[in-house]
Amino acid sequence: MTAPRSSHLFNPTEEHRMLRQTVAEFTRREVEPQAAESDRLGVLNTALFRKLGELGVLGITIPEADGGAGMDTVAAVIVHHELSKSDPGFCLAYLAHSMLFVNNFYHCANEEQRARVLPRTLTGEWVGGMGMTEPGAGTDVLAMSTTARRETGPGGDHWVLDGTKTYITNGCEGHCFLVYAKVDGRITAFLVDRDCPGFSTSNHIDKLGMRGSTMAELIFEGCRVPAANLLGEVGGGLVHMMHNLEIERLTLAAMSVGIAERCVELMVDYAQQRQTFGKPIAEYGQIQRYIADGYAAMEAAKALTYNVALDITPDSRNRVGSDAAKLFAAPVGKQCADYAMQVMGGAGYCREYPVERLWRDAKLLEIGGGTIEAHQKNLTKDLCRAAKRA
Amino acid sequence: MKILVPVKRVADPDNANKVKVSADGARVTSEGLEWKLNPFDEYAVEAALRLNENGASGEKLGEVIIVSLGPDEVQTTIRQPLAMGADRGIHVKADDAELDSTVVAKVLAALVAQEKPDLVLMGKQAVDGDSNTAGQVLAELLGWPMATFAMAIETADGGKTLTIGREVDTGVLTLKVTPPAVVTVDLRIVAPGSVRNGVTPDAHKYGEGARYASLKGIMAAKKKAIDVRTLADLGVTDGAVVTYTKFERPPARTGSVRFVESAQELVQRLKTEAKVL
Ligand SMILES: Cc1cc2nc3c(=O)[nH]c(=O)nc-3n(C[C@H](O)[C@H](O)[C@H](O)COP(=O)(O)OP(=O)(O)OC[C@H]3O[C@@H](n4cnc5c(N)ncnc54)[C@H](O)[C@@H]3O)c2cc1C
Repeated sequence: MTAPRSSHLFNPTEEHRMLRQTVAEFTRREVEPQAAESDRLGVLNTALFRKLGELGVLGITIPEADGGAGMDTVAAVIVHHELSKSDPGFCLAYLAHSMLFVNNFYHCANEEQRARVLPRTLTGEWVGGMGMTEPGAGTDVLAMSTTARRETGPGGDHWVLDGTKTYITNGCEGHCFLVYAKVDGRITAFLVDRDCPGFSTSNHIDKLGMRGSTMAELIFEGCRVPAANLLGEVGGGLVHMMHNLEIERLTLAAMSVGIAERCVELMVDYAQQRQTFGKPIAEYGQIQRYIADGYAAMEAAKALTYNVALDITPDSRNRVGSDAAKLFAAPVGKQCADYAMQVMGGAGYCREYPVERLWRDAKLLEIGGGTIEAHQKNLTKDLCRAAKRA
Repeated sequence: MKILVPVKRVADPDNANKVKVSADGARVTSEGLEWKLNPFDEYAVEAALRLNENGASGEKLGEVIIVSLGPDEVQTTIRQPLAMGADRGIHVKADDAELDSTVVAKVLAALVAQEKPDLVLMGKQAVDGDSNTAGQVLAELLGWPMATFAMAIETADGGKTLTIGREVDTGVLTLKVTPPAVVTVDLRIVAPGSVRNGVTPDAHKYGEGARYASLKGIMAAKKKAIDVRTLADLGVTDGAVVTYTKFERPPARTGSVRFVESAQELVQRLKTEAKVL
């Protein structure tokens, strides 16, 4: 009567189990009912977002002493997994805020900066985001051209930023952003907010899926950022960026797992109810293949993602693992959504069911946070390097 | 007020298809089941928390104690109300098979003697057995006033009297009870304005439904005490009075859904085919 052993991988402690239950319940009661409408409008539901603040999940990885929940990467994976069963778009806004901004910021900020920014970002009063990608630098992110130079004088002590970031999630609603720019060619992290003169954002960039979150360009035109907003050391940005990418990729993988799991559920239900030629379509071998293959792939992606999550902490890393998890899981979400749509036929293609939305959402996971080609490239490089060392 | 809230775990109603009857029909098997807090008990927890707090400031006005009976795993069931904000728990060790409403009521009566709460607030029934008797038996054993199916609870004087609304067919029946008392709650008790304690400002709006266990609550629950007792500790040695002789699944549905063209045709068919009119 005790839980199956495998559930220890997914819920290593009692707290993880309760967290999953809370987020699943919240998702069922509040996220699911608004998902189709947010998708149609292409907006972030900010009122719902603030409720994530009340639940306490916006600072999930931040120590309790600093106002967070003090939980680990597995906990972050749980939240993304559960939210994405209903609204991956909304979950992407959560990811951009909690992983790309809050978690990242926490690890490179000093005490004063934390005290200034965390309270209002942990409640969701301020929405945050992260700006790395540029029109001319995506996969080759090190080629970024946004610059920062220091200016001291009678006007005060400032950094002056010039450049443009693009595809930035939460760009429309965001108040504060963690922005990477080059100081004399060295990647450095800055905190930029709406109060910085010379900072603006573009119009909403419309997109195929993930429409429960928005994206925009961040534009820096001689943007004056107070000296106190330098995060970490000049030139220290690269290490933070690379480290934070691991939890980002893993939570993106978890989103794909959530999409896959929901789609398997939907197709299992539908295949039992829908009858053709006098019997449920679940009795046809071709349909069974979609259901069984989808389920097996989803379980594999889930096990890999949770397994890697155990290894990623502020002090321990698993870059190969996070690349592998996202590389494997991203196509699984897309595949399961596609299978579910096929099993559901015309119904799957129509807006009445969530499958077509999940299908559109799922594709992003093969692009955002690193394309699958980028993961293939990085993994191979890391594996070859490790083999040489051995 | 000091409020005792008994809670029971039930098979997750969303996964009811996993509930299996053993081959000999003697019992419902619990292997592989996912457990959930009985929904009516969750509402009782919410009502207890609302009675015992200033909803606007979060200030606590009294203690909420959670009790559950069952094997060690029910401690998991107790943690959830603790994460919602209850203060401490009591786990009474027992085999599920040893329990019926009477044993449960006797255990609760023994705990009431020790804890001396002002109020026992409980769900009107558990959604597994649907017996709807534990609260009534407990009130009888204690000789306390009782109000069942509460959909509203109001107190204005720190709990010296409780005004209880019960939904009946013709409207709302209002009772006044003087604690200590047993109150069992219905679904509507978690509507935004159902609980008034004279402290939470009337303007304060609760959400619809029971509160979520927040992450802070979950982390805090880890540190809250759960006392463990046995049936023998509480002097409850008589066995269950209800014995279950046989379980069977409902018969598979026969017949199929048919569509009719008009109301006239429906009436006609109900008369001639179904012969129910
Ligand atoms: C919905 C959404 C939200 C996003 N949110 C954010 C955000 O919040 N913050 C942020 O900074 N960025 C964000 N991004 C940007 C995202 O990280 C980039 O889109 C991604 O890194 C890919 O960069 P790119 O679009 O410039 O593609 P490119 O780098 O131009 O790639 C084009 C194609 O070439 C392939 N390719 C490139 N280089 C190689 C190579 N060496 N070998 C083989 N193939 C290669 C790619 O795999 C891809 O197939 C978001 C993107 C989307 C779509």
